[in-house]
Amino acid sequence: MGGNCACAAGNPLMPHTATITSVTEETGDVKTFQMVFDDPAVMENFRQKPGQVAQISVFGMGESTISITSSPTRKGFLEFSVKRVGRLTTVLHNLEPGCKVGVRGPYGNHFPYEIMKGRDLLFVGGGIGLAPLRSLIDFVLAEENRDDYGKVEIVYGARSLDDLCFKNGLMKRWPNIKNTSVYTTIDREDPAWQGHVGFVPAYLEEIAPGADNKYAITCGPPIMIKFVLSALEKLGFPDHRVITTLEMKMKCGIGKCGRCNIGSKFVCLDGPVFSLNQLKELPPEF
Amino acid sequence: MTAMLIDNGNITKFLDSVARDRLLVAPVREEDNVVMFRHVTGGEPVCLDYLNASVSPREMFFPATEKMFAFSTADGGLQPAEPAKGKRVLFGARPCDVKAILSIDPVFSGDFPDPLYLDKREKTTIVALACTNPSHRCFCATFGVDPAGAEGADLLLTQLESCYLAEAITPKGNDLLEAYRQFFSTASGGHAAEKNRLAGAAAQKVNKLDTGGIKELLDENFELPYWEELALKCLNCGICTYICPTCHCFNIMDFTRGGTGGVRCRTWDSCMFMNFTRMAGGHNPRPTRKERLRNRFMHKLKYHLDRYNLPGCVGCGRCAGACPANIDIRQIIKELREVAQNGR
Amino acid sequence: MIAIEAELKKAAADLLSSGEAQMVLGFGPGSEATRTTPVFITGAGDTEKLVFNPFCVNNLVKYLIDLKDYPGKIAICVKGCDSRAVNRLLQDKQVDRNKVFILGLPCPGLLDPEKAEAVIDPSARLLTAEMEKDGVKITTDRGNYSLPAGFFMDKCRRCAGRNPVVYDRLVGQPLRENETGDDFADVKNIEELPPEEKNAYWDRQFSRCLRCYACRNVCPACSCRECVFDRAEPGWVARASNLSNNTAFHLVRAFHVAGRCVDCGECQRVCPVHIPVGILNRKILMDIKQMYDEPTPGISPDRTPVLGGFHTGDPDEFM
Repeated sequence: MGGNCACAAGNPLMPHTATITSVTEETGDVKTFQMVFDDPAVMENFRQKPGQVAQISVFGMGESTISITSSPTRKGFLEFSVKRVGRLTTVLHNLEPGCKVGVRGPYGNHFPYEIMKGRDLLFVGGGIGLAPLRSLIDFVLAEENRDDYGKVEIVYGARSLDDLCFKNGLMKRWPNIKNTSVYTTIDREDPAWQGHVGFVPAYLEEIAPGADNKYAITCGPPIMIKFVLSALEKLGFPDHRVITTLEMKMKCGIGKCGRCNIGSKFVCLDGPVFSLNQLKELPPEF
Repeated sequence: MTAMLIDNGNITKFLDSVARDRLLVAPVREEDNVVMFRHVTGGEPVCLDYLNASVSPREMFFPATEKMFAFSTADGGLQPAEPAKGKRVLFGARPCDVKAILSIDPVFSGDFPDPLYLDKREKTTIVALACTNPSHRCFCATFGVDPAGAEGADLLLTQLESCYLAEAITPKGNDLLEAYRQFFSTASGGHAAEKNRLAGAAAQKVNKLDTGGIKELLDENFELPYWEELALKCLNCGICTYICPTCHCFNIMDFTRGGTGGVRCRTWDSCMFMNFTRMAGGHNPRPTRKERLRNRFMHKLKYHLDRYNLPGCVGCGRCAGACPANIDIRQIIKELREVAQNGR
Repeated sequence: MIAIEAELKKAAADLLSSGEAQMVLGFGPGSEATRTTPVFITGAGDTEKLVFNPFCVNNLVKYLIDLKDYPGKIAICVKGCDSRAVNRLLQDKQVDRNKVFILGLPCPGLLDPEKAEAVIDPSARLLTAEMEKDGVKITTDRGNYSLPAGFFMDKCRRCAGRNPVVYDRLVGQPLRENETGDDFADVKNIEELPPEEKNAYWDRQFSRCLRCYACRNVCPACSCRECVFDRAEPGWVARASNLSNNTAFHLVRAFHVAGRCVDCGECQRVCPVHIPVGILNRKILMDIKQMYDEPTPGISPDRTPVLGGFHTGDPDEFM
């Protein structure tokens, strides 16, 4: 693991310098940053798997753990979709193409895309929760992988029309890929929105996707997750085929600094991806 | 390996000589009631008649604040911290604290080896000082530490009647003895026998608590009313975690003084602090003292064992003596055993 | 001191069983003979746990801040020094007077646990503690000890306020106050040093600081919802522990509680590396006394803290 990580000077806590190459404004408070390592060899050797995270540095401000939004099938850059919530993400949001940042990683486990092969996939996301899911969505929908997976359904919701992330994927790219359906909802009515209105868990029950031979992958705000998990249970998904990814405060990302533990597990090493049966064995401290 | 003797009077000369060639860290009495491990350069009195230092010597490998690299905010240029220079000697560490270093070694190695820690570890010869008269608060035997033992040390010193017996445990320890041979003389079988007698007496004297059933209790029970009761008195300061020889939590921070440059450091951090786990959005998985206190003692008595099969506590007794509210891990062990046996 | 334990237990039990208080916050037996520990008693049957002996070192008033939202009334045990903190918190409206019942405990002086533990068998149970002419006589089930005055905590040797200044019930009889009073010798000893030596003294002390924040967390004057030292943005004092940051921490801390510090000595007691932090507070206290002729904060419930008030006739502008 360690050998595959991008870190400088043999110190896993020292990032490599990267340059922001583009910034996409997804919503009022979410931006997607495309970054490229300054050293082409580092870029070449950075091999993330869908669901892994990286540490982004804004030098002088610190670091933050961000899930890698881009799929490994798209090479030569990394993308991170970041919501402006705290000190570091606020500074990051002020950066423009050309600005220097630091990146180290990839860290953590990944979505079990190998054992998902041959299965249908149901993605359930809310708000910025679509960001970590996007790495897997784009991975399975990539031309070279598409035939490895069955039907793909994406159920996604946000508070408002403006809060929908990845509108290009949701509205244009993904629905046009074979055997793929996208269901989008917003919490409140909006005159500019002709689509579904309502919360994600309720919409999910309304769509009632079958659970046979299917994995459900979900990420979103804790309250949404809670109701989505119970909806998935009603739909007949066994716990081991329900996958989620956790967010915890991390500093080192490599199991040393001691803050992202849930019981004896470190989210940065043993997570962030957990199946529901694994999650049920952890103490409820996340 | 060699065993030699060093006269009480020669210890200072030996240490002065070591301090000239190597970076020497040794216990120094800074105030009447404070002994600290300090970098000594020769000449200063090193304290050998001490129970234990106020703060554990883990600092030598894992400093309270450590620069990792310098950065330029202008162009993102990075300059790694200079590696530790030359050979080092940690002198006079107590066996519990040495064992503690073994307990945190796997944290800093594993899949992501930490060069700053491991480099200093590699370059350091550890000279342990056997406890021949453990304090009433010492309970290292609970966790398999021999108070006069050498586990993890390169060289073990034991104070005899009028001299110290120096036993090389590893080639590193042997090298140190060889390099300063002029201060040492040959030991006899009688000296070894005297040492064994003292070590035996120390092992008899030191407390050994019964931890039977605690791990199983904690494995099965995350929620115990006990933690809630205990947390009422916890002040959530960082004393227990900062003086602890096995605590390894840290924060990573950037320090700048305006301009375009700065340094990124890691600093000790404490799971007792509210901000330790509080996320940017405000969510905190360990929001109250109860969760934080539980995390600390679960780490000591369960998590570290689960993860590394090594004890998260070595029974040095520091936290038991220093907690302002008398939260005493020995009592916690006793009370958890009661809970395990009687349920509560 | 131990002589009033029975009366204390009875008073506590009465308060709980009559429903006048829902919790008694007091001292319980500690893990060693020379230690006690805070106890939070809610059942009248548990008041047997309460002790009052020369090792009841904690100022329990700090816990009133943590228990601000406790639904019932809390009966709290306070010594003379602790009681000043109650007044201070009342002045700051941190504590609702109607939600506390103050059990005042006249205190003839505490023993330094670290000194005493070298003498008293840690597994002993204390039976009596009687003041003698120059010290204290302790009897235990493991032997009797006569400890000279040197075993008292420093703050107790200069104490001028053994009797609580505020209480709803005084347990035991009021004690005669120490006539010599506080001479601030600890402060003056340092103040009289030449500047270089004074600097070297504090450098040595501050360089030991671990930044564990125990001095802050134990302090009844520290009641900010978010402490300036915990704030990441803006980061006023860098978290890195080094001499300059540590010095900034200690000076800011001392100044922040200036005029509010009741001189209970808890900050100095808890320091794991024995930094005499209380001397900083006491320097300010001494100056306040000399310059403004103000008593120690908390002595009276209705005195405005010296830095908390102003007069339109003040000769200098506010800032």
